[in-house]
Amino acid sequence: MVSHTETDSGRAYAPTRVRRLTDFELTLPALVLLVLFFVVPVVILLMRSVTEPVPGLGNYVELLGSSTYLRIFTNTFLVSGLVTVVSLLIGFPVAWALAVMPGRAASIVFAILLLSMWTNLLARTYAWMVLLQRTGVINKVLIGLGLIDKPLPLVNNLTGVTIGMTYIMLPFIILPLYGVIKKIDPAILQAAALCGANRWQSLVRVLLPLAVPGMAAGALMVFVMSLGYFVTPALLGGTANMMLAELIAQFVQSLVNWGMGGAAALVLLVVTLALYAVQLRFFGTDRMGGR
Amino acid sequence: MLLNLNRLGWWKLVLFGITVLTTAFLLLPILFIAALSFGSSQWLIFPPPSWTLRWYQELFADPRWLASAWTSFQIAIIVTVLSVLLGLATSFGLTRGRFAFREGLKALFLTPMILPVVVLAVALYAFFLKIGLNGTLTGFVISHLVLALPFSILSIGNALEGFDKSIEDAAVLCGASPLEAKVRVTLPAISHGIFSAAIFSFLTSWDEVVVAIFMSSPTLQTLPVKVWATLRQDLTPVVAAASTLLILLTVLLMVLVAVVRKGLKS
Repeated sequence: MVSHTETDSGRAYAPTRVRRLTDFELTLPALVLLVLFFVVPVVILLMRSVTEPVPGLGNYVELLGSSTYLRIFTNTFLVSGLVTVVSLLIGFPVAWALAVMPGRAASIVFAILLLSMWTNLLARTYAWMVLLQRTGVINKVLIGLGLIDKPLPLVNNLTGVTIGMTYIMLPFIILPLYGVIKKIDPAILQAAALCGANRWQSLVRVLLPLAVPGMAAGALMVFVMSLGYFVTPALLGGTANMMLAELIAQFVQSLVNWGMGGAAALVLLVVTLALYAVQLRFFGTDRMGGR
Repeated sequence: MLLNLNRLGWWKLVLFGITVLTTAFLLLPILFIAALSFGSSQWLIFPPPSWTLRWYQELFADPRWLASAWTSFQIAIIVTVLSVLLGLATSFGLTRGRFAFREGLKALFLTPMILPVVVLAVALYAFFLKIGLNGTLTGFVISHLVLALPFSILSIGNALEGFDKSIEDAAVLCGASPLEAKVRVTLPAISHGIFSAAIFSFLTSWDEVVVAIFMSSPTLQTLPVKVWATLRQDLTPVVAAASTLLILLTVLLMVLVAVVRKGLKS
C-alpha cells in the first residue's frame, strides 16, 4: 500500500523522491503564455497612446475632438445598437418557439443555428456581399415583386453592415434566450391564466419580465461583440462607413500611427470592459463568450 | 399557457412563422453560395445560366490556395494539441487548487475571449515586429493559442467540475499512482470536455482572420487571409468554391461531433 499524503492547501507530495506539482504550478505554463503574449503586448500598445509621437494626451484630444472620428464612433454605436435591437426582436419569438416546439422540430432548428454559427465568417460575409449587390438576388426579387423600380444600394453602406452583422449575431441571442425561457416553469403561466390574465397580460406581465435577465445578458453580449467587429463591417460597409475596429487597423497598417492606434484601442477596450463589468454586476458570470 | 404548445392558439402560427423565416434567413445564404460555386456566371448571376466545375478547377490549379490551406491546417493542428495540453494542466490547477488569486487567475485566462480581437491583433503585431516573430509559423501558433486557450480551459474545466474527485482518490487507494489514476480514471471520464476543447481550438485557429491578417507575410498566409485578400479585390466565384469546401468541412465536423457525443454517452 502506497502511503499518500495530501493537505488541504492543495499542495501534494509523492511519498518519496519526486515532489508533485502544486495546483498553482500547473497553471504556470498558460500564465506565462498569457502574460508574455497577451498582457505585455496590450499594455505596450496602450502605453504608446500616451508616449507617441510626444508624451501627453494629444492623441486622445485628437481622437475625441475631431468630427471625422466622431462619425466613426457614431457609426459604431449606431450599427451595434441596431443589430442588438433587431436581433432581440427576431430572437425572442424564435427562442420562445424553440422552447415549446416538439423535440424533433427543435433539433432541426438547432442544427441550422449551429451550422450557421460554425460556418466560416468570411464565407458568410461573402454570401451577403453577393446577395446584396446591385444586381444581386435581393434586389432582383424586390424588383420582380414590383416593390421597387431600381436597385436599392444595400451594400457598401451601413444597411449592408447591419444586415450582415444581424445574420452573424442572431444565434448568439437565440441560444441564451432559449436557455432562460426553457427554465421558466409553465405552471407560473398557468397560474396567470387561472387568475384571469389573457394572453397579452401573461406575455407582458409574466413571460417577458421573467425573460428579461436573459434578454439583457444576450443583448449586452451582442452589443459588445458588435462594437469590436472588424471583418464584416470592412467588407460590407465600404471605406466611407468605417467602424471603430477598422479605424484601429487603419491607424496601424496604413498610417503607421501607433499613438492614435493605441488611443483608439484603449477607447474600445474601456467601453468593452465597462459593459462586461455591468453584465457581471447584474447578471453573473454565465453566458459569456461562446463562439 | 404561453409555454404550452396546445394552448397558444393562433399565436403558435405567428411564432412558428417567425421561426421558419429566421431559419430560412440563416440557412439560405449558405445554400446560395454552394449553388453559385457550380454556376457558370463570372458575375454570380442567380439562377446561373448553366452549371460548371470551372471555379473548383481554378481553385485547385492555383498553388497559392493549396499552400494557404496547408498552412492553416498545420497551424490549427499544432494549436489544437498545445491548447488541449495547456488547457488540461490549467483546468486541473484551477479546479482543484485552493491558492490565493484563483478567481482572478480564472478571469485572466478567459479575458482573450471577450476582448475585441482587433486589439489583440494590433498589440501582437507591434510586439512580434520587435521580436521578429511576424510572418512566422511560430507567430501564428502563439497568437491563435492565446485565442483558443479560453475555450479549452472552459470546456475541460466544466467537465472536470462535473467529475467526482473521490473516484480518482479511490483508484489511488486501490494502489494506482496519482498520475496513473489521472490518466486511466479521470481523463476517460472527462473525455467529452477534452473533445470539445479540441474541436473549439481547431475551429478558432482554422477560421481566425483578424489576427492572421496582421501576422501574415507575402510568403506565409492562412486560408482566411487568402480569402480576405481575394475579396478585397473582387467577388470572384473562386471564393464561392472555397467557401463551399469550408461549409462542407463544417458539416463534417458537426456530424463528427454528433457521432462522438453519441459514442461517449453510450
